[in-house]
Amino acid sequence: MQNAKICLYPRDASEAVRILSENGKRALILAGGTTASANEDPQVTILVDLTRMGLDTIEWEKGQWTIGCNVRLDQLAQHPGLAALYGGMLVEAVQAVGSTPIRNAVTLGGSAVQVFRWSDPPVALLAMDACFDLQGPGGERTLGADAFFAQHPQRVLNPAEILTRIRIQESEEDSGGAFVKLAKTEVDLAVVDVAVRLICSGRRCTDLRIVVGATQTLPWRAQAAEDLLTGKRLGGRAIAAAARAAREAARCRDDVRTDGEYRAEMVEVMVRRALKMARERARQQS
Amino acid sequence: MDLQLTLNGKRVVWQAEPGENALDLLRRHSLSSVKWGCGEGDCGACTILLDGRSVRSCLLVAAQLQGREVTTVEGIKEPAGPPHPLQTAFVEKGAVQCGYCTPGMLLSAKALLASNPSPSTEEVCRALDGNLCRCTGYQKIIEAVQLAAGRMRD
Repeated sequence: MQNAKICLYPRDASEAVRILSENGKRALILAGGTTASANEDPQVTILVDLTRMGLDTIEWEKGQWTIGCNVRLDQLAQHPGLAALYGGMLVEAVQAVGSTPIRNAVTLGGSAVQVFRWSDPPVALLAMDACFDLQGPGGERTLGADAFFAQHPQRVLNPAEILTRIRIQESEEDSGGAFVKLAKTEVDLAVVDVAVRLICSGRRCTDLRIVVGATQTLPWRAQAAEDLLTGKRLGGRAIAAAARAAREAARCRDDVRTDGEYRAEMVEVMVRRALKMARERARQQS
Repeated sequence: MDLQLTLNGKRVVWQAEPGENALDLLRRHSLSSVKWGCGEGDCGACTILLDGRSVRSCLLVAAQLQGREVTTVEGIKEPAGPPHPLQTAFVEKGAVQCGYCTPGMLLSAKALLASNPSPSTEEVCRALDGNLCRCTGYQKIIEAVQLAAGRMRD
């Protein structure tokens, strides 16, 4: 951003949308700034810092959590209420991100829109079926998680449209969840991420979402594995079969950390582990 | 742009390019405790406190500092006063060898003790997880933080 001449600080989402629609590709959004600071696009002449427009609170009302796009990961990690949301899987996912100074800067909105292959929070957001409130020149709209992550969110968003809030339904009774990350060190990027959310009725699983991250461009649902378990009892053999199905569906990339073959094996291990954790948590809930 | 911020308790106005790296900006203004290590957000040598939170200055641009409070090691004690208890404890415990990571360690520790005056060993490790040291093996650093925490509680 060597050509940036000014920075604007919109006071609310409407002002942000107006600035972005007036300036098109000249404008670059700053949230936490951890990735924007590496932007070298010569077209960028205007920076737009979204962090001064509020939308930085975590609220609970009528069975729903509403998280402003500017809420930082450290705020989420320390929030006492979120520790009980689907087994604390959102807290687990944000704690998995980098190190303390990174979590002190990165916002949940930025992490969701900017999603990289290794981003941890979007894996949990997709598994929890979060809703994404957007505001753009054409007004406001809401997308479910499957639509928001159907392709890269930066392509899902219209020009000058921004993410304002993320909403998550409070967990029901007999529900559980887990987020697990495999990485070479505590602060390294993921080799494999898995998030599971399940809802049970008695011993049977009535609703299940299994999401795998870090293997390909975007987090993806292991639907074959979900189908094997939905409506069934979550026994050890059924869980093992679902984990194998997730591995078979995984298209895993090679990168500097590891190769695709190892990643695929670890998808099976991590799906199995996450399912067992979520099952235990659901049992403790009931 | 005119960049207005509170630096170590004093209001300053600097001329800055909005997109320039905050670490470069701070060093240009003689805040030489803020170190350039990796430049990629991995090592923590460039740690500053932004509104009291530890962040990497190499991953910030100047415009993000507008209106904020920035603390560096230059500002953790009174100019003519004694060293900060963390600084004293680092010396006493031998927590400094080459010293390159030390400013970042001190600031991350300061942020921790502001919110948690009695951290466990695990909490100290967690708070310093973004600061790499290649000399001391961390044990003396952890001991120093806990020694300072005890003295600051008394």
